[in-house]
Parts: sequence; structure tokens; C-alpha cells
Amino acid sequence: MSRTQALSKDEILHLAKLAKLNLTDKEIEKYQAQLGETIEYVKNLDELNTEKALPTNSVVDLKNITFSDGDKNERNLKIDKLFQVDRMM
Amino acid sequence: MLLGKSLLQLKKLVAEKKVSYKEINDFFLKRIQKYNSQLNAFLTVSKNQETGLPIAIKDNFCVKGLRTTASAKVLNDFIPNYESTVTTRLKKNGFNFLGKTNMDAWAHGSSTETSDYGPTKNPWDLSRSPGGSSGGTAAAVSAYLAPAGIGSETAGSVRQPAAWSGIVGLKPTFGRVSRYGVIAMGSSFDCPGPMTINVEDAAFLLKQIAGKDQFDATSSPQPVVDYQNLMKKTRKFTIGISEDYFTNLEKGLEKKIQESIEIFQKMGHTVKKVKLLSPKYSISVYTILQRAEVSSNLARYDGIRYGNDRTHFGAEAKRRIMLGTYVLSYGYYDAFYKKAQKVRTLIIENFKEVFKEVDVILTPTTPVAALKLGEFEKYPFFGEMMDVLNEPAAIAGIPAINIPVGLDDNSLPVGLSIMGNYFDEASILNLAYQFENETDFFGVIKKGISNYGK
Repeated sequence: MSRTQALSKDEILHLAKLAKLNLTDKEIEKYQAQLGETIEYVKNLDELNTEKALPTNSVVDLKNITFSDGDKNERNLKIDKLFQVDRMM
Repeated sequence: MLLGKSLLQLKKLVAEKKVSYKEINDFFLKRIQKYNSQLNAFLTVSKNQETGLPIAIKDNFCVKGLRTTASAKVLNDFIPNYESTVTTRLKKNGFNFLGKTNMDAWAHGSSTETSDYGPTKNPWDLSRSPGGSSGGTAAAVSAYLAPAGIGSETAGSVRQPAAWSGIVGLKPTFGRVSRYGVIAMGSSFDCPGPMTINVEDAAFLLKQIAGKDQFDATSSPQPVVDYQNLMKKTRKFTIGISEDYFTNLEKGLEKKIQESIEIFQKMGHTVKKVKLLSPKYSISVYTILQRAEVSSNLARYDGIRYGNDRTHFGAEAKRRIMLGTYVLSYGYYDAFYKKAQKVRTLIIENFKEVFKEVDVILTPTTPVAALKLGEFEKYPFFGEMMDVLNEPAAIAGIPAINIPVGLDDNSLPVGLSIMGNYFDEASILNLAYQFENETDFFGVIKKGISNYGK
């Protein structure tokens, strides 16, 4: 593998903020290198011609499932079964 | 009397009143008590042992009232108040859950080393990994702490630990088995699947858990067929082999794979060369799409409604969330995520083309046999390379089964995968069953059990 381009510290901090993760300085340094290495590897997809390919949205050709008006909804969990803690207020 | 009996044999013994379900369950609970401390296969042993056929469940399946952690400290004390469809169907069909098995945390990995509760040990060599992420189920079945188990596969997580622990592992077509109540990892890949000591148990279990589910919109309406029956039909197959799947293999492992291909030929099947896209592209597609889905699926763990907060994520989960966030972020979406989805289409079309020429495709399940615990660090991509041969089928969503084909030079199990066309689980089970009848898997599964014979 060719020399990899590390991500900048600012990029890592930005991603951590988006993902709501607190990272230590050591982790930031580690992810700069590791993410850089991975991103460099996955660029091998550029070797393939995808001009005519549509992005996959389902591997098994499923159709949309719709809910008919008036149907009884039996799919949701009952709200009273969801709470298992005692009332706090 | 009970040691090494298959699920169906146990069921028969009970039907003939030779043994009771209570006796069977006590037998396995005793074995768990005796061996689990050295293997760390079970995280939670079920206290409410009801009557039924015993089975081990991977810890990412929600079981109502039974602690479910996905081996992650974020869910350390999580007790689900609803039940996964797979376990609902198993309960309805008379199964009893022995307990919940260890895995890589959130199923992120191929070794169980990322488990927040310590790694599972490979029953064949305690210094080695059983594979992962369904490593706990694999070890439990291999050492016969359970007669069978349920695992789940995103890309290799059933087949790879089955290969390294020397058992049968089936990954069904995506959508064949409902994902409802399985702690989500990669929602466009995740597939629950059986892990067993013979092919017929796998066919039997698949039939129990497969089928359309109103709670999972991606579950398929295709009718579920009688796998056990179809598996026993005499058939001759055209088997595809693609060269790119046979590079960089360990010598001892390669020898066993080549020998089994010759056995298939001797049995009267036709082997034909086919051209599949190189699996190196599957690694990239999988890395991008799976990380993207992970970052999105793990976003729900905020610690507000249930579970611990985000400071409890382990190193591997954080690394995956970070990369997933990167490939989905503004300015990179087209270059990475969309590109990967387009290549995914190419991989699917490639498989569809090849399945016009052949019935099934054979590949080694892994490039090497079980690695030592801690050895993963040495390999680039944090173990992703261990699943390089499994990822194409996972990306395309086609079914595949791992079967043991012998032991390598270190006396470790070697696994072979049979990939099949969409919803054609019957064909890969049929061929696997033929191979089992011909070779008895060279005694691998029986030896694994007898290693824990007392």
C-alpha cells in the first residue's frame, strides 16, 4: 500500500462532534492514522467503471409496503408494555 | 448417551420417551457449568429452564426478560421487554434457550476479542480465537455445550466462526429470516442463521425461523420450502470456482480445500471455472457501507431511554462510528457511499451472471485457520481480511454455508463455503448434505465434541 494520507486533527474532532463521541488525545491521534489508511484502501473502487450502474437500494428487489386505510395496526408495541420503571413524578 | 446427539436425534429420543427434556437440559447445563469458565462461550445462562429442545442464542437477539447485551457495556443491564421474531418462532416451536452467547461487541469483528466481556476461546486450542462475531455460539456448539445455536451474520459472522471452530454454519439469503429484535449492525446485510453439528439440523432450524414477518419490512414474502426434504433429493451440480478466491491461502488449508474439490468431482459433480469480481473490491464496498450503517444504527444509543451513555462504547465501535460518519458526511457521500452502492450493484449483477452458468460456487471460508488471540492486531484492517472471502456473498445477499473439510497442519479445522443463488438454500444444503454423507466431514465435528467428552 502506498504511503497513506492521515486525516487532520480538525477533521477527526468534527466527526467526533457529529457522532457525539468524546475522544482522548491518544484516540484522536490513532484515528487520524487508521481512518486515513482505510480511506486510502477503499479508493480501489475507482478502478471499476460504475458509469452505468445504479446504486443498490435493495439486494432482493423488495417492493414498498404500504398500510391500507382502515387496517388495524397490530405491528406497534403497546405503550403500556414499554415502560418498566416506576413513575418518577 | 446424550453426548454428540444432534437436535433431531434428541427430539426423537424424547418422542420415544427414552429421555425427558428436563434430563436433556440438565445435561447441557452441567456441561456449561463445567466448561464455560475456560471457554467463555456463554455470557448469561438462563435461569428459567422450561422444557423444550435446548439451543444457544447469540447475545444480540432480544429475548424478553433475559439480559441481552450484544457483548457491549452500553447495554450492560439491558433486559428487553420484547422478543425477537427468531426467538419467538423458536419458543413457539418448542425450543428452550440455554443462554446467551458471547460475540464481538455489537458484532463488530471476526474474533470475539472486541467483546466487552472478554474473548471466547477456541475449543480446539484455548490460545486461539473461535472466530466471530458469533464466536460464542460457535464454541458452545463445537464443544457441545449446546446441541445447536443461533448466530447472526453481517459479513462472515456465521461462516467464519463455524469454519474456525469446526462446525456447520448457514447464512441464509438476506430477508429469508426476520431481523426484528436483532440488535442492528448493518441493516442491509444482517442475517440470522443456524450453527449446528450436522447439515440436517441446519435445514431443520432454518425452516423454524424463516419466513415473512410483519415486523420486518425487508423480510421476504417468498414461500419457505421443505429444506430437509429437498436436501435429500439425489442431484448432480455444476460447481463454480473463481481463481481470485484461491490466492494467499495458508498451505495446509489450501491442500484440504483442493482435496475436497476433488471429492466433489469424484462424486459426479461438474467443476467449472467462473470469473467473479475480485474480493478485494468487496472489502472496500463492505467497509464503506457497513460503517455507514453502523454509525447510523448506533446513533440511537444515547443512554436516555435505556442503556448507558455513549462514553461506554469500546474502541472498535468508536472507530467504526467515526469512519461511518466520515463516509456519510457532506462532500464525501458521493465519493464513498454512493460509489460503494454502485459497485454493490456490479457485484450483484456479477453473481447473477455467474449463476446462469453454475448452480453453486465453492470457496475457502477463510484464508487461514484460527489465529491466536491477539494476533489480529498484526493484520491490516483489524481482522477484515479474515472475512475477505465471505464479504462478496454478504454484499450480494446470497446464501452460503460453511462445512468442515478436515484439519490443517496445526490440527485446526478448515472450512469450505458453498454459495448459492438467491433463496436457493435448498441447493447448498443438498450439496453440503451429500458431502457429509460421503466424508462425515473427516470426523472433525465428532473430534471437536470428543475433546470435551467427559
